[in-house]
This record gives sequence, structure tokens and C-alpha cells, in this order.
Amino acid sequence: MAELQSPIGSAYVTGDHGNAAGGVGVTIRERIGLSIIQITAWSDTIPEVLTAIGSATGLVLQNKPGLGRVAGEKSVFGFAPGRYFVVAATPELELRLRSVISADLATIIDLTHGRTVIRVSGPDAEWVLSKLFAIDFSEHAFPIAYGRATLHHDIHANIQHIDDETFDLYVFRTFARSFWKTLGHAAEEVGYKVE
Amino acid sequence: MTSSRLPRGGRVERSKSVRFTFDGKAYSGHPGDTLASALLASGITLFGRSFKYHRPRGVFAAGSDEPNALVTVLSGDVREPNVRATELEIHDGLVTQSQNRFPSLDHDFMAINQLAGPLFSAGFYYKTFMGPAIGPLRGTRFWMFCEKFIRRAAGLGKAGTAPDPDRYERMNAWCDVLVVGSGPAGLIAAEAAAGTGARVIIAEERPLPGGSLLASAETIDGRDPSVWAREKAAALAAMPNVRFLTRTSVWGYYDGNVLTAIEHVSDFKPNRTKGQPRQRHWIIRTGKTILATGAFERPMVFPGNDCPGVMLADAVRRFALEYGVAAGSNVTLFTNNDSAYEAARALSLAGVNIVAIVDVRADVSGACRDIATAANAELLTGHAVTGTHAGKTLSSITVQHFNAETCRVSGAPREIRTDCLGVSGGWSPAIHLASQAGGKPEWDEDLQAFLPPEPNQNWVVTGAAAGYMDTISVLSDAATKGSAKSRLILPPVEAPMLDASPAPVFQIEPSAKSQKAFVDFQHDVTADDVRLAYREGFHSVEHLKRYTTLGMATDQGKTSNVPGLAIMADARGISIPEAGTTRFRPPFTPVSFGALAGERYGDLRPHRLTPMHDWHLANGAKMYEAGLWHRPMIYGSHGETVEQAYVREARAVRQSVGIVDVSTLGKIDIQGPDAAELLDRVYTNMFSTLPVGKARYGLMLREDGLAFDDGTTWRLGETQFLMTTTTANAGPVMQHLEYYLDCIWPELRVHLTSVTDVWAGTAVAGPKARALLEACVTGTKVDNDTLPFMGIVHSKIEGVPVMVCRLSFSGELAYEVYCGSGYGTRVWEALLTAGKPFDVMPYGLEALGTLRIEKGHVTGAEIDGRASAHDLHLDWMLSKKKPFIGSAMLGREGLKDENRLSLVGLVSLDNQAITGGSHIVTDARPREPADSFGHVTAACYSPALGKYIALALVKHGTSMIGNRAFATDLLRGRHCPVEIVSHHMYDPEGSRMHG
Repeated sequence: MAELQSPIGSAYVTGDHGNAAGGVGVTIRERIGLSIIQITAWSDTIPEVLTAIGSATGLVLQNKPGLGRVAGEKSVFGFAPGRYFVVAATPELELRLRSVISADLATIIDLTHGRTVIRVSGPDAEWVLSKLFAIDFSEHAFPIAYGRATLHHDIHANIQHIDDETFDLYVFRTFARSFWKTLGHAAEEVGYKVE
Repeated sequence: MTSSRLPRGGRVERSKSVRFTFDGKAYSGHPGDTLASALLASGITLFGRSFKYHRPRGVFAAGSDEPNALVTVLSGDVREPNVRATELEIHDGLVTQSQNRFPSLDHDFMAINQLAGPLFSAGFYYKTFMGPAIGPLRGTRFWMFCEKFIRRAAGLGKAGTAPDPDRYERMNAWCDVLVVGSGPAGLIAAEAAAGTGARVIIAEERPLPGGSLLASAETIDGRDPSVWAREKAAALAAMPNVRFLTRTSVWGYYDGNVLTAIEHVSDFKPNRTKGQPRQRHWIIRTGKTILATGAFERPMVFPGNDCPGVMLADAVRRFALEYGVAAGSNVTLFTNNDSAYEAARALSLAGVNIVAIVDVRADVSGACRDIATAANAELLTGHAVTGTHAGKTLSSITVQHFNAETCRVSGAPREIRTDCLGVSGGWSPAIHLASQAGGKPEWDEDLQAFLPPEPNQNWVVTGAAAGYMDTISVLSDAATKGSAKSRLILPPVEAPMLDASPAPVFQIEPSAKSQKAFVDFQHDVTADDVRLAYREGFHSVEHLKRYTTLGMATDQGKTSNVPGLAIMADARGISIPEAGTTRFRPPFTPVSFGALAGERYGDLRPHRLTPMHDWHLANGAKMYEAGLWHRPMIYGSHGETVEQAYVREARAVRQSVGIVDVSTLGKIDIQGPDAAELLDRVYTNMFSTLPVGKARYGLMLREDGLAFDDGTTWRLGETQFLMTTTTANAGPVMQHLEYYLDCIWPELRVHLTSVTDVWAGTAVAGPKARALLEACVTGTKVDNDTLPFMGIVHSKIEGVPVMVCRLSFSGELAYEVYCGSGYGTRVWEALLTAGKPFDVMPYGLEALGTLRIEKGHVTGAEIDGRASAHDLHLDWMLSKKKPFIGSAMLGREGLKDENRLSLVGLVSLDNQAITGGSHIVTDARPREPADSFGHVTAACYSPALGKYIALALVKHGTSMIGNRAFATDLLRGRHCPVEIVSHHMYDPEGSRMHG
């Protein structure tokens, strides 16, 4: 099948930008080729759903708000009661999840086409993202692998903390180009590289 | 012009020079200078003209409390008015201008206003411009006539009209402890808090930390206190759990311990690095706030107290110690408390000549006398300043005996030659943020000042802001309030034993008529104005503020608040706390609109693009911003008008086939065993009976029975539906459903997910629509049996999975083709390719609107929050078999009223366009039409009918069909004869879309 068209389009310009003469503070890139599946458990089936996600992906989660796991390209995180994103660079991810999660346990929806995943990494990642999101990015408030549901410009977005200096942003596809420009603008101060 | 730069002292870089201009004239200063210090050093004492009287004014304070020395900063075509010269850091190329003068600061014609002083007393506007009930000047007409002249004659700086090219940013921050201020209290409190491992943010409004220590003659730990402060601040800034923000003014305190601050990131720089904002707006959420905001020295009110050369004693000290500038060559101090003696000591040590110290108190302590003697200053106790003599700067003052008990002046006046008078009327703790946070300030009799209220959130006030006026007490208090666990060993402080408690003297009233005595310098409010307000019945401090404008404008009464209250209390014969005080409100210091707006404008505000956006642009689409969405309005050809384009596009749809991007429609995935039950409850019609693989048109009402939204909902599985909403109502409908599921029907097992972004949608419409699909759809047939009206099939186009639903908004045979957004352009182009044999044409919003107007289909223009289902002829959709949201209210009187507006069509009778929003009237006279009985909701030229048509909501709609009326638009000067017709103006039988 044809490759998915990126919504960022011509706004995606690789190279160094902004005040990058002395080095870049953040690197940003679009993560492509991912399947993004949203699973929403019923209030009384959350433990079983987490077990099923673990069996399908190898990413075992406890029932704790915002908890997540990251393993290479695969990740999972919760961002609302009983609601999880399961992400992997595998087109069969939805089928695999449906094979272990019945409608009695949860609802499943493929949001691959609806979200754009932008990875922001670097020593100034927290600084740049704090310009756009009203959440505490420090590790003690937002531990590594955890996920958050938040807003940029009053528009919903999800964020997963990948490692010390890396965050994955899940933004609505139709806002992705606009957000990409805003992110670049915010990162100009520290200099940024688009990979 | 002589330089007032002292031979030594100050924290300016004397080895470097900075060049700037003021009123077109070049000056120089040093890095570290403010505009005020650099101009004072250059011998300039006249900085501006006052608000009403155009009196000459000089620098009065040395910081954010400055009421007088406001300037406009020019940068290209951009002008920023009302910048305090006392905070404006100079840099090479800075261009500044004085304000409120014509033609020049030195020769201001409007100074004639001083002669008309009595006319401009408090309430001038109310008294002068409240017109009579009748006559040519009735009502506000006289004011309307005079306003432009008054606005030109009075005021502060003039804002520019050029776009602001600077960038501003917003920053969100979290911390355990926010310390506001980095004077002695702030530094020690921050050290105590940071020592516990807490995340600490320190916000200091000035470029350097230290607060009062920057201009102190005391010693801390045996060192210059400014050095101690600098080292302490550096150590704090180096801690990993501390963020130290200088040039950052905390201006607002809100619920939930949320504070707002403005950081001046690069205002002070001649050049900015790429991407560097001018200002950064911080929103700080903190666990605990420590307000170490210090105190403002306040003036005393006496005749002639506003002339250039009269300033706060602390300001005189700060200019000398911080900038190495003598505010005068012969300085006199006038005080009611001991702090002026500390200023005298510091000034004397800095090499400033002190002529005299005038003290209203009959006697002063030995320490004060010792300081006066050491400074070689004449000490005049039991005296007060009763007049000043000045042109553009002070030349002398008049002093007389004064009884602080009776506040009476007596004896012969004596003149003292002096070019600078430093005044100290006591200190007002800077309680602004605490006051904003809530609570009533408490009066302290010893300090004659308001202290912070009891905390209602997790905040504490420390140091001078809490009423501690000596450094030893300040450090001790701050250590405790910084952290209860603090074990800090406080440094030794060497300071003279002085008492900051002032004599309760706020105003010097001479026995004879004298010069004006100003309370609020920025708004030219005098002591007489305050008394006039009292005589005219404005006794409450809130009324006083509004009647006289006392405490308003950019300085928000930092210097005028307490003296004004004291004079009102005296007039009323009550105490100051009985008179009360106004509550401080944000902002503490002025905040630029740019900083508040941040980056939510132009290209940086959110824009929402459909998956086919780039194709539209590349193919000549003229885009239209519908909310956040960008949608093609028309695909124009060269030289074509909008009307010509949409007529061409709509005609193509009626004659052959067209495609339109409908990706903007709201789409909600509804899943769960109770999904059908939910839909039965929110839609007026039944959805539980809808078979899988079919769609149904649905109508939602609000709780009050009025129409809310419409759209089709597709049953994709036994427990899964795809709801579509209007573009504009996607968000509100989602909220509506979530509210009912979360709060009203939590027992329903249903999950909702917005999938608007998941699906790219293309509507294919026209008599050749089926033929087009047959040419590109694989895996299924699309004939009438396989895909009947409101049927759904799953298939592929160019290998891309698609859902095709047969439904029509245009009234033609039509389908909506949905695919994953990532394939949107691919499928769109495939449809165009397949349609080439049929001359397929892409069409935009205008043609879409035309087609639906012809057909009489409603949208948000008709579902406008006031229309009922009956008004829109949709009562056939109201199920009688089940209740639904809004059904209980359908029978109410208002919805049964026969005078309600209902939907009709209009046809123009003069073959000219009917304008949207026109009112429907019966009167043929264009200039005085009779009462409106309806309005036009949408209008267009109909290529199918060959006429200008419209939809309208009119009284007695259906029964008016066949009548003639006028669509009148007074704004555009259009009065169009129309015939009222059925809203189904094209193919009323629906044979085309069902064919």
C-alpha cells in the first residue's frame, strides 16, 4: 500500500535552524511508520486489559494513572482512566490487540491516521516544551515512560516521556503542520535540528 | 549642562560608554545605567509634563513606583509609551522621547492649563459634560464634541499604530517555592528553602539581586551588603534546584497559587540573538509563595511637592549608591521618620553634599543627631517644608515651624537654597501581591502602614513587606519563613540603631493659600481634590478612587495610596483603617499586550488543515478560514469573480459530477454495547433500529427543545457507530455527549473518541457520481442494489481501503468517500482521474452552499440556537415512540407560538443579489422600512434556477408562501423585492438524489 502522506508537508525542513551557531538545544523529527491504537477499558476490566496489552506487546503495565512503558519503537501509556495508547512500528498491531482484547473488555480504535508523532529530544527539550504546554516536565512530576493528556493552544495532545531528554508528542493530524511551525518557533531561541 | 556623576561609586561600568537619545538629543551613559540615572548624570532634571496641568516633572522614585518620569521608546515605526525611565536600561541606539507636551518639553503650550487649575478639579468631566435633557447639547453631545480636544491635551504617552515586530513568549513553570524579590529577605528565604531540596524559583524585578542592599551603607558579614548579596545570589543560582530570574516582575497572584510574571529577556539589548524573545510571560504554579517584595517609601504631601528636584529620599540614595549619580549638588532631606537619616549617612559617605535635614518631629534620637552632625547637615527638627521654588528644577525650599501633634505650621518662613529635596513620609510594605491573593490588609499603628492580610493560600510574607524594617530582623524573619527546618547561621549586620516608625504626619497644610500639594503625581490629583471628593459625598475609598482617579494609571498608586487615604480619613474625622483601602488588582506593574498575547496570532495561532490542503492550494483554491479550518471557497480561474466561479462549479455538479473536500465534518467514534441506546437518547429519531451498514440522518435538540445539530450517523457494527456532525459543532457535540455519559448516564457502557482527524472525506455529487465511482472503486459494486440511498460499503480505491456512504447534501446523486487521512490526497486524485471522462470538477464551499440553498437543506445558519425542529420543517424527525434530550420541552408555549419564524425560500424579483442578513419587510420604502418579520440566513445565485435566491426565517413562514416582500439591508443600502417560496426550491421530490 502507498506510504502515508505526512501532514507536515513543506514545513518539514531538515537541518539546523534558529540560534544554532553554538549548538542545538533540541532535535525534532516526525516518527513515521507507527501504528497508534487506542484501547479504552471498561471501568471494571482495567486489570484484564493491561494483562492483555502486556501479552500482545510485551509491555507490562500496572494500573496506575499515566504509567507507561517504552521499549525501542514500541510504547504504551495511559492518559485517562482506563484509556491507553499502544504504539508500535507494526501494521498488524491492531489485529494482534484485537486477538486478545474482546469487546467485553475494551473498545479499540486505530488512530494511526489521526495523530502525528513528533519526537523532541535534547538538553533544552523541557525548556522548549514548557513554552507550549502547561504541564510540569520535570522527571519527579512526569517520570520517564509516563504519559500525559494535555493541551497546546487549547487543543488536545498527548505526551510520553521517553528518556531524560526525550519526549514524544501526539498531536492531531490536522493541526500537525501548524503545531510543527509553532514548535520550531519556540525552539529557535535554543537552536534546533530537524532530522 | 553639568555632569552629576560622582567621582566614584555605583555599579555602572564606567570604563564603557553607551550612546542614546532623549527628545532627539544625543547623550551618553554607562552600561548599568537606567535612562533616569544617565539623564540625571547629564544634568537633566525635567523628564516630562504632568497629566492634566502639564506641570514640569522630574524623576521622583528610582524603581517601579515611578509616577512622573515616563517616556516613549521609539524603535523604527514602533513606539512604546509610558516606560518608566527609572527602569529603562540604556543601550547603544536607544531612542526615547518625553510625553504629553507640545511642541517641546521645555516649551509646552499646554502648560497654560496650570492657569485653569480650578476648572480641572476632581469630577471635571462629570460636571462639565453631563449635558441637559433637551437642546443641542443634550446627553453626551457636548462631550462628543470636546473629547478629541481633551484627549489631545491631557494624558500620558501615545501608543503607536505600527505592528509590533517583537516576539513574545509564554513559559509555564512549576516549583515548590516561589520567592518574589531578592533583597535580603528573598535571598535568605530562598537559601533556607533551597537547602531543604525544594525546587525554588526566585523572581527579581531588577537587573541585579540585592534589593535594598544595593544602596545600603550598612555592612553584612563585614562586607558591602551589595557584595554579600551578589555572592549569595550567585551561590543560589548555581544550585541545581534553583532558577534565578532577574528583570522579572511578578505581576499577578491568582487562585491555586498561580502567579504571573514578565521577564524582560532582551529589552535592554541593542541586538537580540535569533529566536530570543523581547519579553517572556511566565505562568508559575507553586506549592508555596514567599513574598519578599520589600517596601515603597512614600512621600509627604506639601505645597509645591511635585517640582523637578523633589524626589523620594530613598531614590536620592539609590541614584548615588547604585549609579554613582548625585541627584543634586546641595541635597536637603525632609522626613517624618529615621530612615532619611540612613539615607543621609549613605549619601554623605558617597560624597553627596547634604545641606539640611528637615524633620517634622520635635525631637530625634541621638543616633539621628550623630548622623546629621557627621554629614555636616543642619538639623531642623519640628520643621516642615511649606513651599518650593523651581523653574525646570528646584532652586530653594521654604521651611517653617511645625507641630507634629497638631499638624499646624507656624512662624516665619525660611528659605533654604537646595537643588534636590529628598522626602521620606514613611514606608509602605509592598503588599500588592498579597492583597491580590485575597484578604483585607491590616493597619499597623507603629509603621503607619498597611501590612499583608492573613494568608488564604500557601503563602508567607517576609522582610520589609511584612513590616520588618531593619536588616537584622529581616534576615531572621526570612530564615524562618523560608523553611521551618532552616538551620541557617545568619551573618552579622552592622547598622545604626534607627527606628523606621514615622510620626503620623502625611500632609503639611500651610495656614495661608499656597501652591498645589499633590497626592497622585501621575494623575495630577491634589490634596484639595481629595477634600473636594469628600465634600461632594464620595467618602468611600472606592468612590474616592473613581471620582478623583487617585491610585489609577501605570503606577497604581504605589506612592499615593496611603497619603490619599490619610487625607480622606482626616476629612471624615476617622482613622485610616476605618477609611479602609482599595484592594490591589493585577498587574503590579504594566504588562505589554504583546506579552499577554504571546504567540497566538498570525501564523502561530492554530491552523487546521485537511489532508488535501496542499492539493487545494496547488490547484488555485481561494481558501476561506472557517473557525480554525482552512477550506477551499472556490477554485477560481483567471479573471473570474467568486460568483462566476461558484456558479460554474455548482452547474458542473448539477450537470455531471463534482467532488468536494468534506474532511472538516466532525466525526465521533461511538462504541460499546449501549451505543445505540445512547444515540436513541441524544437524537430525536431512532437509531437502535438502524441496520449495520446503513446510515441515517439525525437531529439533536438542546435540553430546551431547540435544534442543536444535525448530521448522518453510520452503523459500522452492532456496537459501533460513526457519528458525523457539522464542522462548527464538532467540539460542542463531543462535549455534549461526554457530559451525558459522565454525569447523567454513567451506567451506559459507551466510549467516545473524536476521529475527525482519522478520516479524509470527499463528497462525490452529480448525475455521473455513480459512474465515477464505478470507474475507481474495487472490491464491491456501487449500483443501487448494493449501495442504496443511505447504504454503506467497504471497498478500495487504488488499493487504499475506503468506506463509501450514499448520502446527499447537494440534492444530487451523491456519495461520501472516507479513507485514512494519510491517503486523503491519493484518493482525492484517484477520484479526479476516474472522473475525467465526465469532466469532474472540484468545488468549494460557495458552490456547496449554493447547492444546499437550492435544495433547502439547513446548516448552522438556520440551526442558529433559536430555531426549533418545527421552524425548520424537521418535525417529521421527532420520534413519538421514545423520549430524547429536549423532548420534554417541545410542548412549551414558546415553541408553539404561531408567530415563530420558520424556514422559507426567497426569489429575487429584480434579478439582483439578495444580501445575507437582510431583514424581511413589507414596506416598499427603502429608507424607512416597516417592522422586520424575518431575516435572510443564506443567499446565492442559483445556476439551476437562473435566479438570485435565498433561505430565510420569517413569521408565519409556510402561510406566507406566494406573497411578496422586501429583503432590506440598511447597512449595504439594498432593498430587494422578493417572492416568498417553499424552501425546497430545487427537485422538491428528491428524485435526483434517490435516483
